Amino acid sequence: MVLLFFSASVFLSLLILLFRNKIATMIFSSIYALILIGFTIYGWTKLNDTELSYFTFSSAGLLLLAILALLSLPTFYHGFIYTSGEEIKKHTIYHVAMILLMTFMAGAYLANGMTILWIFVEATTLAVAALIYHDRTEASLEATWKYVFICSTGIAIAYLGILFMSFIYGRGDAANLSFETLGGIINQADPLYLKIAFIFVLVGFSTKMGLFPMHTVTIDAHSVAPPPVSALISTTLMNVGFLSIFRVYTLFSSSSILGFMNHVLILSGVLSLLVSAGYMLKARHLKRMLAYSSLENMGLIATAIGAGGAGYYGAFLLLFLHSLTKSSLFYQMGQLSRILRTFRLDDCGRYMSLYPAGAMVLLLGMIFILAIPPSGLFISEIMIFRSLVFNGQWIILAMVIILLCFIIYAMSTRFMHIIFSDPRSDTGQLTATSVSPVESISQFILLSIVAGLCFYQPQVLTDLINGSIQLFL
Amino acid sequence: MLNYLIILFAVTLIYFASAERLIIYINMLALQGLLLGGIAVFELSEINTGNLLFISAETLLIKSILVPWLLFRITKRSGVEKVHRQAMPGFYQLLFLIAGLLISVTVANSIPNPYINTIFMAVALFTLFTGLLLIVTHKLIISHLTGFLIIENAVFLFSLAVGNEMPMLINIGILLDIFVGVLILGFFGLRLKPRTNELTILKD
Repeated sequence: MVLLFFSASVFLSLLILLFRNKIATMIFSSIYALILIGFTIYGWTKLNDTELSYFTFSSAGLLLLAILALLSLPTFYHGFIYTSGEEIKKHTIYHVAMILLMTFMAGAYLANGMTILWIFVEATTLAVAALIYHDRTEASLEATWKYVFICSTGIAIAYLGILFMSFIYGRGDAANLSFETLGGIINQADPLYLKIAFIFVLVGFSTKMGLFPMHTVTIDAHSVAPPPVSALISTTLMNVGFLSIFRVYTLFSSSSILGFMNHVLILSGVLSLLVSAGYMLKARHLKRMLAYSSLENMGLIATAIGAGGAGYYGAFLLLFLHSLTKSSLFYQMGQLSRILRTFRLDDCGRYMSLYPAGAMVLLLGMIFILAIPPSGLFISEIMIFRSLVFNGQWIILAMVIILLCFIIYAMSTRFMHIIFSDPRSDTGQLTATSVSPVESISQFILLSIVAGLCFYQPQVLTDLINGSIQLFL
Repeated sequence: MLNYLIILFAVTLIYFASAERLIIYINMLALQGLLLGGIAVFELSEINTGNLLFISAETLLIKSILVPWLLFRITKRSGVEKVHRQAMPGFYQLLFLIAGLLISVTVANSIPNPYINTIFMAVALFTLFTGLLLIVTHKLIISHLTGFLIIENAVFLFSLAVGNEMPMLINIGILLDIFVGVLILGFFGLRLKPRTNELTILKD
């Protein structure tokens, strides 16, 4: 089935390139989204099965694949709207790159070995580069350049980490670097090698996860990428980075370096929170502010993994809910840019009177992303705090709470200004542009899932999360 | 012979610190490609001949011909010939590099592995350090590219160290080479602000 899925992706991409017609592109992209959803459901029925030797339907991989499947239809829908007025060449490249990006991400989620995982992560960089460069402006070229350059450097560094892991093997061992094989011999390895490998992998894959100190790459990409692309960069692509790091963390957790890894993750997480709080307080660009909010959430997830205990569950729940909430906000950015024609915060205002449906998405999205009840993120953050309290890490807890207060202040004042106040700068009268409230429906659906998960978490979700962290239960 | 090639490779890295002209950077990268090709031939004695031929040919074609040629085109197009005015003075870079070499040797000696030559490890770490130093201390895009290509050479050197056991890892390293050679240099290197060679649009 994995082979069939990859073949279908390539086939549909080729068809889009062949037909070069907007209606045909829309049909083929929708078919791809349905195939992706079907593939995810098939994966659920084959939990922990391996196919083609290199792909396993693990719980963690399936959970992230489910997020991708859930977001695929709205991403294509908002992509169609974004590219509707564009020439056929750009339209075609956009949708082919989008299908390839989703396929590469699916491959990375299901990869059961370090080398295959690395190849798919590298491939996502290629597809994202084409999407960030979509508008063909000087700014988009610069952002794409930075993204490709820093990601390539990160990927090269992560590859060094993989090579260090390969040094664990002795001559004549089966050297396919699968997680299963590595897990069997990890306790015989020199801890120093494991520490070096972990640092390289963490720094390298941080370019994808958007963690400090490699976060700048995604921030710049967000300022110029089309909103539906930003939605994926900020959610499912960051999840690829998280999963890569978490795979290595899980692999090494049975060795003596678990404490070391936890300290490094907490340090990286708190520094990410610090940087995001600092930049959000002086944010002038709406999409960059949302990008820093993603940095904040990734920082919280890293801290949660480092704290352990209930933090593991909290981290996965936060990952899931953050993906739904942040993608809703980024989808809304597409509508906002058509109404306000800018992302500069000083020029934004009166959104409630201009586009009430969109303003409600912004308002709810802000409440939910800041983990204010009835947001499901509230539950995940409570779990993270609980694990910090349980470990007696009071200083870390205090720092996290203080930084979150700054973030809540920075984000809520800016969002309230956009929704209710007049623009600060005198750039002329804002006029209502006709944007249908129907476009916001997908965002309301995603946000209602986030609210629902505050009160009830279905068995399938808890099973997948527990399956992902079963080694630590 | 292998050790001589590796040490010569380390010497080319130190030369980067004192070089001021971009053409010297390009020549050094081409020379490094040749040396890596030689190292691959001598080190990978246990893999099959077909794979060895592929790896050697790739190293020579991409690392010592294609990538330097693309870099040469970028410098011609941008009109930037020297790096020293926009970088840390050569003397300080030399000091940093010597410190980096000492640290690399110390680290390589403190993490011995029965299957990996210590000189391999020390020079690979030193190569990584040099690449990162070039990226951090230089402002020109072309210098950043050079730094990245040096990091790539470090990755290749590391992968050669385990190449006899895991030739697949070298082939994946080659994938990275092609990725960089074609995409970064071929596409972006020729489009980015040719006159100033700086990035300034996107900032907070």
